[in-house]
Amino acid sequence: MSFGSPYLTLPDFTYHRASTVEEVIALLKEHGDEAKVMAGGVGLIAFMKERLMSPAHIIDVKGVEELRQLRYAPGKGLSVGASVTYEELASSEVLKEKYTVLHEAVSRTGDPMIRARATLVGNVCEAIPWIDSAPALISLDASVEIAGARGKRTVPVAGFIRGPVDIDLESDEFVTGIQIPDAVRGTRGAFEKFTGGSEFAVASVAVTLASENKRRRARVVFGSVNSTPVRCTEAEKALEEGEFTQATIRRAAKVAAESVECVSDVLASSEYRKHLVEVVTLQALWRLLQN
Amino acid sequence: MNECVVKVNGQTRRERVKDNVLLLDFLRDKLEVRSVKAACWRGECGLCTVLLNGKLVKSCIVLAVEANGGEVTTVEGITDGSKLAPIQQAFVEHGASQCGFCTPAFVLTCHELLKHNPRPTEREVEEAVSGLVCRCGTYAQIREAIASVSQPPTRAEALQKLGKGVR
Ligand SMILES: Cc1cc2nc3c(=O)[nH]c(=O)nc-3n(C[C@H](O)[C@H](O)[C@H](O)COP(=O)(O)OP(=O)(O)OC[C@H]3O[C@@H](n4cnc5c(N)ncnc54)[C@H](O)[C@@H]3O)c2cc1C
Repeated sequence: MSFGSPYLTLPDFTYHRASTVEEVIALLKEHGDEAKVMAGGVGLIAFMKERLMSPAHIIDVKGVEELRQLRYAPGKGLSVGASVTYEELASSEVLKEKYTVLHEAVSRTGDPMIRARATLVGNVCEAIPWIDSAPALISLDASVEIAGARGKRTVPVAGFIRGPVDIDLESDEFVTGIQIPDAVRGTRGAFEKFTGGSEFAVASVAVTLASENKRRRARVVFGSVNSTPVRCTEAEKALEEGEFTQATIRRAAKVAAESVECVSDVLASSEYRKHLVEVVTLQALWRLLQN
Repeated sequence: MNECVVKVNGQTRRERVKDNVLLLDFLRDKLEVRSVKAACWRGECGLCTVLLNGKLVKSCIVLAVEANGGEVTTVEGITDGSKLAPIQQAFVEHGASQCGFCTPAFVLTCHELLKHNPRPTEREVEEAVSGLVCRCGTYAQIREAIASVSQPPTRAEALQKLGKGVR
């Protein structure tokens, strides 16, 4: 019986298994302030055990067929439904080919058992500073699709994550999926993280390089170094100028280390994180340079 | 309280269960399936791993009600009658058990790996068990046990490994 420790038992709640989006919205309208949506439960159950959350109602969205969709349409892009798991994403050929940066982040999240349950949308909604998916999604200009009693809206991932465990979502709304614009031909991407042996990243980077009207366009986004993902436009500029060479990537990594604001915490000092910023940037760019 | 009907190792079990009960506690306390071990309770060590509807999951981060109407297989379920499955036998023969606490999860996970991939590479084996923690560190013996029941490489693969390639 869980040894009676509050950390091992869950608070009381009523479990609802929704089967349509409308049902989720109706349940949220009724219990919104006291309810939490659950996808894989990987994060939510841990939060509840630690009493960081004690919702009176849990709305399981795994049974909603509409949210299970992982769809790619040329010109429109990729849409990832709220109950699409990491396992499904990691085995997606479209993701591997067209959205390499996200594929790399997804394949390196947790372990196979975690990936069988955890969802991308759940990861983003958790909005913990050290999640891996957010930098990759931001580097791809992805948006979060939200539905609620008052209708639908779309918010860029960059704006959706407002702070640690703080997202742009009303209590009567939930996330139906994530939309990623179609990648132009020849878009390349890489994700790197440094964990130092811990479960989560101490510093990570997502890089996406695309060509736009014959110009190189770069996106460089760091994770785990601050309370929210940090985009580094200075490093992006360094990558967009001139030839893409070893000298360019060295300069970009240096510029990133100089300009990205890093926090100090129990895992690492800000100075160490700045060093890691340079290292992971070099690692990601080196791979892009080589293939 | 909800009625929860789950097929466990081929047997249909019907129990009333509270919404906030974990699949792990349901299996151990209600159904008395004690091979499912409880250790970290936070999805990290994987010793509570079971097959839920054909997928390996850590049962400490799954609700019992989520298994309602579904199927659960634990390490007991892979035994063929009274005969041990080849991977179970291999664990015995290679001393891959040590204290035995993590053994059910490792055996079940490896059994599942070999079912879908009879000839896993070392890298694939490592990836498959990466969510499991063996605290006494029988990893070397576990590796040997898996290698002993995985099918041998084809001639071409063996040559490739030797760096000879096949022309
Ligand atoms: C052992 C372990 C290792 C891990 N390793 C990594 C790692 O390497 N990298 C990494 O980034 N993460 C890692 N994680 C975290 C894991 O990826 C996340 O917990 C998971 O992605 C959350 O998804 P979920 O579907 O389980 O969400 P849930 O647990 O169901 O939900 C998480 C939160 O999001 C909310 N939510 C979920 N879905 C919706 C929705 N549709 N609309 C609105 N709100 C919603 C919930 O209410 C809850 O607050 C790890 C976790 C564990 C336990």
